[in-house]
Amino acid sequence: MSDPFEALWDPAMPLDPDPRFAARLRARVERALLDDVRGQTMRTQTRLRHGDVGYVTLQVPDAGRAASFYQEVLGWRYTPGASPQGREVAGVVPSHGIWGGQETRTLWACYQVDDVHDAVRRVREAGGRAEEPARRPYGLISTCADDQGLGFGVYEDAGEGLAPDGAEPGELAYLTVEVPDAARARAFYGEVFGWEFRPGNVEDGWQVHVGGAELRPMTGLLGGRERAAVVPMYAVADTHEAVARVRSLGGTSTEPERMPYGVTAECTDDQGIRFYVGDLA
Amino acid sequence: MRLPAGVEPDPRAALLALYDAALPEVYGYLLSRCGQRSLAEDLTAEVFLAAVEAVRKRPPPQLSTAWLVGVARNKLVDHWRRAEREQRGLRVVHGQAHEHEDPWDARLDAMVAREVLGELGPHHRGALILRYLDGLPVPEVARLLDRTVHATETLLVRARKAFREAYERREGRDV
Repeated sequence: MSDPFEALWDPAMPLDPDPRFAARLRARVERALLDDVRGQTMRTQTRLRHGDVGYVTLQVPDAGRAASFYQEVLGWRYTPGASPQGREVAGVVPSHGIWGGQETRTLWACYQVDDVHDAVRRVREAGGRAEEPARRPYGLISTCADDQGLGFGVYEDAGEGLAPDGAEPGELAYLTVEVPDAARARAFYGEVFGWEFRPGNVEDGWQVHVGGAELRPMTGLLGGRERAAVVPMYAVADTHEAVARVRSLGGTSTEPERMPYGVTAECTDDQGIRFYVGDLA
Repeated sequence: MRLPAGVEPDPRAALLALYDAALPEVYGYLLSRCGQRSLAEDLTAEVFLAAVEAVRKRPPPQLSTAWLVGVARNKLVDHWRRAEREQRGLRVVHGQAHEHEDPWDARLDAMVAREVLGELGPHHRGALILRYLDGLPVPEVARLLDRTVHATETLLVRARKAFREAYERREGRDV
């Protein structure tokens, strides 16, 4: 006689949990893994403040091509993406994505705000455009554009977002917001985020502060440009080596130049997106 | 492939790369064994955070979905152990006099069997799930429960008896 208990055998079937749970747990796992990496270098991170950059994404024509290029140049790894149009860079602060099918060829920045609805109202009052806020796993977000046509986002982080304290190789070290009219941009972003502007060391260049402290990552505003764009600077271990990789992959670069804060070079990737690399002391 | 210094394939990246594929397996296993969504979510989170701990070790474990399901089984055992501790003393101890089994000639209704399993103490439920739903051999069940093979066999006899009593009681009530 067979054992009736054997009828209980049940090879469990895979089952997708609630996607919100899946996203939250992934963020927790990433955070725990990130803490590991950071722990080795004793880096500290703090919660995002109002006006900080919480998330950026490179807007590119071809996401796969960009993913390969930056993997080689910056050592980026990617978390398995939900969509072939996008990539999510693993283990970097602030969070960084690649988004394909875009001819804007710029970095798109999403800023943390205390109150999205209030930020949307301010954007509109300052002459920009803002979509109605939408709930996403990472927070409540609105997609906006400033009054010179530069796209950006504002969001209330769901609580997982961290601000960087310095940049490890492969991470965003500095942002330059380039606009045709800096005075207009100062008025717009001052109104929307409470950003403050201190004169920089180039003509019509401004350092951005919020609440008396530097924005994180450090951000500058540069006027007199033909079109509005955000240009990232990525930290690298060795600028000369990074430049050689950029060139060998079909990009272009200026010669590395020593600046007070490190050796930097201005590059263009193989799809025409501008960025800087710097080994920052 | 040429990568900047310090960017070698590492087990942390492997864990993230495995996440999407392994999550439904781990969650599906846990939900089918514990039957409660919120508990299955809690245990699933425990599994992946334990995996984060594990990849810190040198050498790190060979990550795979099967390895994660193995961790899930251990987390489930821990859960039953906690639940057992909480319930101990509340439950009436019974049926210890004879531990030999009568052969039981029955065809179990899977739905009813699931409900009956849910009624048993965590101790008995756990032993039966590992032995019969998971189909693990007794020594493997013993290892997971941290018992000797002999003690596990005794536990299984008691668990089967408790199950059978509950099952027959339910059948009697249902007709």
